[in-house]
Amino acid sequence: MARWGMAADLDRCNGCGGCVVACHAENNISTVGPEQASRGRAKHWIRVERYWEGDFPDVKLKFRPTMCQQCGNAPCEPVCPTYASHHTEDGLNAQVYNRCIGTRYCANACPYNARFFDFFNPSWEKPLQLQLNPDVSLREVGVMEKCTFCVQRIRGTQTTAKTEGREIRDGEIQPACVQACSTRALVFGDLEDRESEVSRLSRSPRGSKLLEDVGTRPAVTYLARLTEEA
Amino acid sequence: MTHPTGSQINRDLLHPLFNTSWRFYLLVAIFGGIVLFGLATWFTQTVNGYGVTGIRWPVYWGFYVTSFVFWIGISHAGTLISAILRLVNAGWRRPVTRCAEVITAFALIIGALFPIIHLGRPWLAFWMFPYPSERLIWPNFRSPLVWDFFAINTYLTGSLLFLYLPIIPDFAIVRDKSTGLRRKIYGALALGWRGTPKQWHRLETAMQIMAIAIIPVAVSVHTIVSFDFSMAPVPTWNTTIFGPYFVAGAIFSGIAGLLIAMAVLRKFLHLEAYLHPLHFENLGKLMLVMALLWGYFVFNERLVTYYGNEPAEMSVYWRTQSGTFAPLFWTMVICNFVLPLILMGIRRFRTITGCVIASIGVVIGMWLERFLIIVPALGHKYLPYSYGIYRPTPPEIIVASSTFAAMALLYVLFAKVVPIISIWELKAGEHPSPELLPPATEEHRLGDLHL
Amino acid sequence: MKAVYGLYPSGASAQQAVNRLRAAGLADREITILSAQPMEDFEFGHIDKATYMWWFACLGGLVGMSIGFGLSWVTEMSWPINVGGLPTWAWWPNLIIIFELTMLGAILATIITLVVTGLLPSKGQTLYDPEVTDGQILVGVENPVDSRVGDFQKALEAPNGARVKTL
Repeated sequence: MARWGMAADLDRCNGCGGCVVACHAENNISTVGPEQASRGRAKHWIRVERYWEGDFPDVKLKFRPTMCQQCGNAPCEPVCPTYASHHTEDGLNAQVYNRCIGTRYCANACPYNARFFDFFNPSWEKPLQLQLNPDVSLREVGVMEKCTFCVQRIRGTQTTAKTEGREIRDGEIQPACVQACSTRALVFGDLEDRESEVSRLSRSPRGSKLLEDVGTRPAVTYLARLTEEA
Repeated sequence: MTHPTGSQINRDLLHPLFNTSWRFYLLVAIFGGIVLFGLATWFTQTVNGYGVTGIRWPVYWGFYVTSFVFWIGISHAGTLISAILRLVNAGWRRPVTRCAEVITAFALIIGALFPIIHLGRPWLAFWMFPYPSERLIWPNFRSPLVWDFFAINTYLTGSLLFLYLPIIPDFAIVRDKSTGLRRKIYGALALGWRGTPKQWHRLETAMQIMAIAIIPVAVSVHTIVSFDFSMAPVPTWNTTIFGPYFVAGAIFSGIAGLLIAMAVLRKFLHLEAYLHPLHFENLGKLMLVMALLWGYFVFNERLVTYYGNEPAEMSVYWRTQSGTFAPLFWTMVICNFVLPLILMGIRRFRTITGCVIASIGVVIGMWLERFLIIVPALGHKYLPYSYGIYRPTPPEIIVASSTFAAMALLYVLFAKVVPIISIWELKAGEHPSPELLPPATEEHRLGDLHL
Repeated sequence: MKAVYGLYPSGASAQQAVNRLRAAGLADREITILSAQPMEDFEFGHIDKATYMWWFACLGGLVGMSIGFGLSWVTEMSWPINVGGLPTWAWWPNLIIIFELTMLGAILATIITLVVTGLLPSKGQTLYDPEVTDGQILVGVENPVDSRVGDFQKALEAPNGARVKTL
């Protein structure tokens, strides 16, 4: 059984935001417009966090693409009264939209604020509604949604590999953000397979987990940025 | 000071049931109007989407959850205090217990509405029920929200029955005093009560068992409400003090609610002969104790956080101590600690007016306390990129404040159909004058505690 | 003759009436006493005090406890869902469910016992007089043997302030 994980090389990330756009397109994430976005209703399953360090003019800008960390011990899961948020056997932190009644408890429990609430029914500006992904369900008003590691792609590739009677090749599954990353800062794969690229990167001495001390055992590893001083 | 007896008690306490003044209709119209407005607002929120509220990423809980905790807290006035006073057989409890138990019943119903109001998909709230469904899935018994569901339902069932049991003999009184349809209705409600020694014994035994059973349930309810917060790894939430802190706060705000209700009843139903300054003074002392206890818990919570010096917690700490939320925080401290300490600590101020002023302060302060636990922490959760500020919008404010009118409306209606002071318990106490009251424990008219 | 009874203004005279009925050969369970408040200062107020209600409450608690345990055990074990790495059936969280259902069981058992033993009307025990509400204490005999009605009437009339009625 695989355990899916991701590595994000902060040395490569230039903060272009391509992953955010790709994610919106792949996962049918509705945009809410500038007015609602300013009220905190934007839904970016992946976001590029920007942190500035130092005082002007010696300012350093750091980017951190942040998405659901698919925690091993996810705080969002036990708090859900209806099992909408639960753990799959391959280590994914699944969100079943149809079970969700919208208590929003999971979002409060999430240390990464990686969960988003649908404040309104989804809508798209024409002609964007024509490019919806048929593999991903739309979410109605009142449910929580979040990054799934593009579970539709994982399951699709698993099915293909099974019908062809072979194992899944490393790098064969690419979530939309990984696929769109022009600097190849994001790498996705099976952490159980010690030969896979993501597994190799996760063991890198540059690697660390986000908010590791909260005890969530995330599946995403961030590779530290190498600076001149380091 | 006069002390009414026998048929005088019947006359005084049944008076509101048989005589309706224009004031009653006016109150019902006003409160009912506000409640309808609140319901309509909730309806538009459900239809238009939850976005009409001020809830936002990452502050996903706001006014509604604050109100939920607040009302569940208010509900701790009644049944818990009444049960304790019954068990220790405090004689002065007799005129107080029913108006307290009613608060519990209604505050719980209102409080239990808020989790539904705040749901993203309230029409699916029944998925919390443990029933074998076509979806082939049961609720997650490891979720604090499901604990809430069980705890609140147990407490609500227990409280409603605890309220109903001692009303049965009073229903019989109303039945005997009325005619026509009213007689039929009250006759049905009295469940064939006649007043044989056997019935009295069974009723008293049942009340004792209920009193013993309801105390741990009440404590568990607010502990579990606090678990909604302390089970999540949110800075300043994940702490062991929350259980007792919330229970103490609940009783504290509950007493305040009870004092306000008693003062209003005394004034408008002319119950001066039944609700004496002594009752206010005793409850005021109890409120003073709870104010000190509350101060002790807050002191602990603050100091431990400060010395723990955990970065994420400290950012929330400073936010309430001297940042955005500081005005609210210090208002809370004044309302919950300074004000009751002065008014209830100094005998000269421990009058009915003093009690009411302190109680209003405590109700405001305790509402702020819950708000300050929920909102600042959610807005300052670990990653600075995702900090956020919550501002309530009119729909939330309308819905949250209309529940106060709902409470008043339910109370007015209840006082109209049920004697708000337990008639038979008052008679059984032989209405001794408060000055001559024996020490609480020597009073054993309702039987001893069989344990 | 359906009933013969007396109304008494005080507990003491009611006590006398009860004593005289006993002297006339009636057992406690054949005497009907009604009052608008518990009369525990008098001996007659303690008739028929024994009850198993405490035991029924405990029994109800046990039933509730079993339901709580069974509900959480059966539902969680028959569909084990991993949440946050918690054990599928964990004691600590489920103890809360078990506790609440235990208390609910005890409360409901108490109420059921009260209704069944105290409130459901038994056959031939319907004697009532609304004057009880005003503080009169009713002592009487329901469905008396016709030949003895005279004796009972005499017994009931003896105490001070007695007003004897027949139905």
